[in-house]
Amino acid sequence: MALLLVVLQTSGTAWPQSRASAGYLIIVNPHNPESEIDRSFLEGVFLKKITRWPTDEVIRPAELTESAPSRRKFSQDVLVRSVEAVKGYWQQRIFSGRDVPPPEFATNQEVVNYVLKYDGAIGCVSSDANLDGVKLLTIK
Amino acid sequence: MRFARWQMATLVVAMLAPSSALALQLGDPDSLLSIDVHAFASQGFILTTSNNYLANDTTHGSFQFSELGLNFTKDLTDRLRLGLQLFAEDIGPTGSYNATLDWFYVDYRWKDWLGLRVGRVKIPFGLYNEVNDIDSARLPVLLPQSIYPLENTHYLLAQTGGELYGYLRLGAAGALDYHAYAGTIFIDTSTLLSSTSAFDLGSFNVPYLAGGRLMWETPVEGLRVGGSGQALRLDVTLVEGGTSTAIQVPVVLWVASAEYSAHDVLLAAEYSRWYVTDNSSNQALSPDRPQVTSERAYGMAAYRENKWLQTGAYFSMLFPDVTERAGPAGRQNDLAATVRFDINPFWLVKVEGHYMFGTAGLVSSLNDNLPLSSLQERWGVLLLKTTAYF
Repeated sequence: MALLLVVLQTSGTAWPQSRASAGYLIIVNPHNPESEIDRSFLEGVFLKKITRWPTDEVIRPAELTESAPSRRKFSQDVLVRSVEAVKGYWQQRIFSGRDVPPPEFATNQEVVNYVLKYDGAIGCVSSDANLDGVKLLTIK
Repeated sequence: MRFARWQMATLVVAMLAPSSALALQLGDPDSLLSIDVHAFASQGFILTTSNNYLANDTTHGSFQFSELGLNFTKDLTDRLRLGLQLFAEDIGPTGSYNATLDWFYVDYRWKDWLGLRVGRVKIPFGLYNEVNDIDSARLPVLLPQSIYPLENTHYLLAQTGGELYGYLRLGAAGALDYHAYAGTIFIDTSTLLSSTSAFDLGSFNVPYLAGGRLMWETPVEGLRVGGSGQALRLDVTLVEGGTSTAIQVPVVLWVASAEYSAHDVLLAAEYSRWYVTDNSSNQALSPDRPQVTSERAYGMAAYRENKWLQTGAYFSMLFPDVTERAGPAGRQNDLAATVRFDINPFWLVKVEGHYMFGTAGLVSSLNDNLPLSSLQERWGVLLLKTTAYF
């Protein structure tokens, strides 16, 4: 077990992520049947390349504002690019008419409220967020 | 230099705005009346060491380099979206702030792997054609002009017709991102012929335009490769002294693309060839020309140092006729370097320098109608540009 942990830690971001180590948490509506999510699927969700859950429910991603440390960590770990690079990606999408970015919220509670509102919603919050009512996903 | 009032308002809001919201949402998001609004306003300055480039009198500095955009999108259902963008520009002799519908569409996305879009839609050609007129979406002020010439924004930026598109996950093999489109182009003919031309333009039509882009997101995170192709025909009628000449110009373009974008690094390279033929109904007035093949390529690298600073460079090559590469007019090599400062989330400033070798990318009508071969072969360009956006 100790050897496995050493291998995971030296190979970059380790999946699955524990609540303490990631700095961010992925939450979904309690009606969502998923309990874990693939990193590449999660990346596709937040870049809006993937728009539907396997149940065909529309996916509604939501995140904190770009200055939030958890957002910045999530961007590097999961989207594999800086928040600024992701912003450039969204500028391309917005002004070519392809899509608009996920809504941003200033507080964890606003993200939680959004996730509770929509069955297909998924959010990224900081690891100290109050998760009352939402479901936590593990990144595999 | 003129500024529309709403261009100034956009700039002021962007400079002072404290929040990092990426859009203006009108109305409650759950209401049918709510709309997402985005806008940008750009103002640039061009100075060349010799040769006028893109605008008049750039050897003395020119502010004829402005772009404005305002778009609205609305999700009607979880599969159906409407959108439109108003756009105005003043770049050299074109635009003059005449507002146009840059794009508008109805988009139905049935599945991730299949969607349909109809209307006037930006053309997916290469990595960056869709953002050739969007300063905030890229590092360079000028995209490599060999593949993304600014004058093409009047002809090959958007098409009116339909497009099928999709995104297909391949598991461990990555994913495919694909587009296929067909339609036509409506062109503002007022700038096609110079005032000194011996001909009058009788008609200008694009009876067809079709193409596609296929990109493979490889298993290597951040690396995507692919290609784009396009075929169209221009039908032109020229009139001189009561005599009409019909000219058909079939054009085929393709580009191979590769991009690596991960963390703070961007590497991109593209290679392209364009094939243009002239078929005329009046050989005496306008003889047929054999197919002309141009060759175009660039390599680009960029790095984001921190939240507010990004730098990059590219080398671009243009050979308008692969059979006549010699001489100044037979090529244009372009070595460029850019620094981008993101003052805040809504306002950026760019400084860019170019060292040019060759005159193939110049326009005679901006240079006293002199032949390109007689213009200064080695010359430089300085560009400054600021953009406010949300």
